[in-house]
Order: sequence, then structure tokens, then C-alpha cells
Amino acid sequence: MRTYFVEVLARERACLAGVTDGAMLAGWRRGVVEELMTPQSPYVLALRQTGDVRDRADFLDRWRELIAETVDRLLQSGARGDTHCSSARGPKADVDAQKTAVLILAALCGGSTLSQVARDPRPLNAALDLALMYFVGSRGQ
Amino acid sequence: MTTLDSRNGRRLTARGEKTRARIVAAAADLMNVQGVGATTLDDVLLASGVSKSQLYHHFAGKDALVRAVIDHVGGRVIERERDALGHVSTIPGLRRWRDALVQNNALRHGAYGCSLGSLASEVSDQDDAARRAVSQLFTEWQGLLAGVLRRLQDGGTLPPEASIDQLATGLMGALQGGYMLAQTARDVTPMATSIDMALAHIESLLLIEPTPDQATHGAVILARDSVRAHQSPSASGS
Repeated sequence: MRTYFVEVLARERACLAGVTDGAMLAGWRRGVVEELMTPQSPYVLALRQTGDVRDRADFLDRWRELIAETVDRLLQSGARGDTHCSSARGPKADVDAQKTAVLILAALCGGSTLSQVARDPRPLNAALDLALMYFVGSRGQ
Repeated sequence: MTTLDSRNGRRLTARGEKTRARIVAAAADLMNVQGVGATTLDDVLLASGVSKSQLYHHFAGKDALVRAVIDHVGGRVIERERDALGHVSTIPGLRRWRDALVQNNALRHGAYGCSLGSLASEVSDQDDAARRAVSQLFTEWQGLLAGVLRRLQDGGTLPPEASIDQLATGLMGALQGGYMLAQTARDVTPMATSIDMALAHIESLLLIEPTPDQATHGAVILARDSVRAHQSPSASGS
């Protein structure tokens, strides 16, 4: 596996393991956005659509699993906002951690592509705002 | 009949234009399948069947050809999306748009991704004019999505305080990321999941819940207060 895949996974494993509430999730998010807006960062290299597709698929699967574990932990602990509850369908007892993790990873991939092409972090932030909608303070400005 | 060549302002004969279009179409296909970086001018010569002098007559080099491919691919995507989204003003309409994109991508097991998105990831750190052209096309595409969300808002389905442009950009991020995940997994499922989740998040802001099959005028859910709670500044703290 490529060194940048290994490095990103090691850092994500460490960062995400410490996330137990919305504020910490916001901290994680700020760090990832910063990496993805830094040219030649291992995060940028890892999300490129080049190189061996199986390696990349394996990397993305593992990152998604780390995100899903975190989302699941936040849902279990009720860290998703009580003040939020914006759903027209009442409390989101039905939030699916696996599917939410797919959306968060997609937001990172697609949002960073849009942001890199626009040279502007706003698209990536908009994508993450939508993906992390159920977790209060995800933007944490 | 003659048209203007965008490169040098020369008039192109009908035959010249046909040759140019053949070169661009062949280059677009190659770049979509094997990537911009891996596509050489020799590949384009072979695939289009034109001579080297014909190619250089129309394009000064690879950068110029890549820009023509961006215009070609972008034009087709925007036309398709304008047809698909231009008159959509309901959530079921938005879901049909999603179904068509997922279905089309599934035909190829997601292998080639979004033709515009693939160009984006390859030109973002290369030619600046190409990067700006792609960025402009994405802005236009997001504008079409924002148009749908604005019609939902005007119809009272989305709350007035929802930030339309922000949601449209977020939805585009989910769509593009979905394409990328599907391309890597050679399976359309993550793309479908990503758009579905993004749409579900947008739908969670709705003032009126759509019924499963059609109607946006189903049961009225009094969610205004909870929506405001989300939109209020306090929601960004904690």
C-alpha cells in the first residue's frame, strides 16, 4: 500500500478514535479540510483517482469504516444534537451509521475535487455541512 | 457554411469543422476512459483517424485540445442537466433526476465516473485556464440544482431560511464524491447511497413531507420550530 494511504489511515485512526462529541467531530473536520486544501498533502495524494484501483478501494473502505465507527459511537452516546432535531419526521433514531459514513466520505472526495478546481474551501465545507447535518456544531467555527 | 474557430478566430469550413469535431470527440472518449494525463496526441490521431497536420491545424498542442474537450464534455453535461432539472419543482422530480444518473452510471458499473468530474480531478493542478473553465461549468451545474431548490422554497416546501446555494453545492459534492467512490469500487452502490443520504438530509429540512410515490402536498408536518432551532446560531456551538 502506498505510503500516503498508510499515513492518512494512521492519522485518521488516531484522530477519529478521540472523537466523542460534536465539538471533537468539528475539530476532526477542520483538520481534514485543512489537509485537503494543502497541495501535495498526503490527503490530497490519497484521494487522487490515479494509481492502482484496488489499493485505492482498500484505502477508501478502511477510511469509511473508521468514519462509520465514529458515527456509530456518536449516535450511541446521543451526541447528535438534541437542539437540532430538524427532521420533519421526528428524532432520527433511524440514522444509519454505515450510510452516513458513505456520505461523509463522498463529501470529502467530491467536495475536495470541487474545492481544488475552484481554489476555494467553500464547496468542501458545504459538502461537509450537508453530510454532518445531524451532528451539532460540526462546523465548529 | 463557415463557423469561427475559437482558437485563432479563423473561419472553419463545414469540412474543417467536421474534422475538428471528430478530433475533440475522440479525445473526449480517450480522456474519459484512460484519463487526461495518460492520453497522448498520438492516441488521439489513431482514434480519430485524422492526420498530424490536420490535428495541428486545429490545435496548437495538448493544452488547447484539453480545453476543447472541456467545452465539449461540459456542454453536453450542462445540456443534459438542463433538460433533467430545468423544470423540476418537486422532491419526486429530484428523485427521478437521481434515478436517471444512478441508472446511467450503473450500466457501466460506475467505471468511468462523471465525465466532468474526472476532468476536474486531472486539471486542477495543471493548466489554469482549463481549471477555471471546469470550475465555471460546475458553477453552472450547481446553479441548475439551486434552481430546483429555490422552486421548492418558493412553493413553500423548503423553509425560507434554508441556504439554497449552500445546499446545492453540498449536493454536488455528494454527487461527485459518489461518482468517485463508485468508480473506485466498480460498483454504483456507494454513489446511490451518497445521493440518497444527501437528499434525505435536504428532505429533513422540508416543511411538507412528500408521500412515498409522488405529491409534495402530502401530510403537513409542523416542523418549523425544529427547523429554526437548527438554523439558529446556537446550533453551531456546543
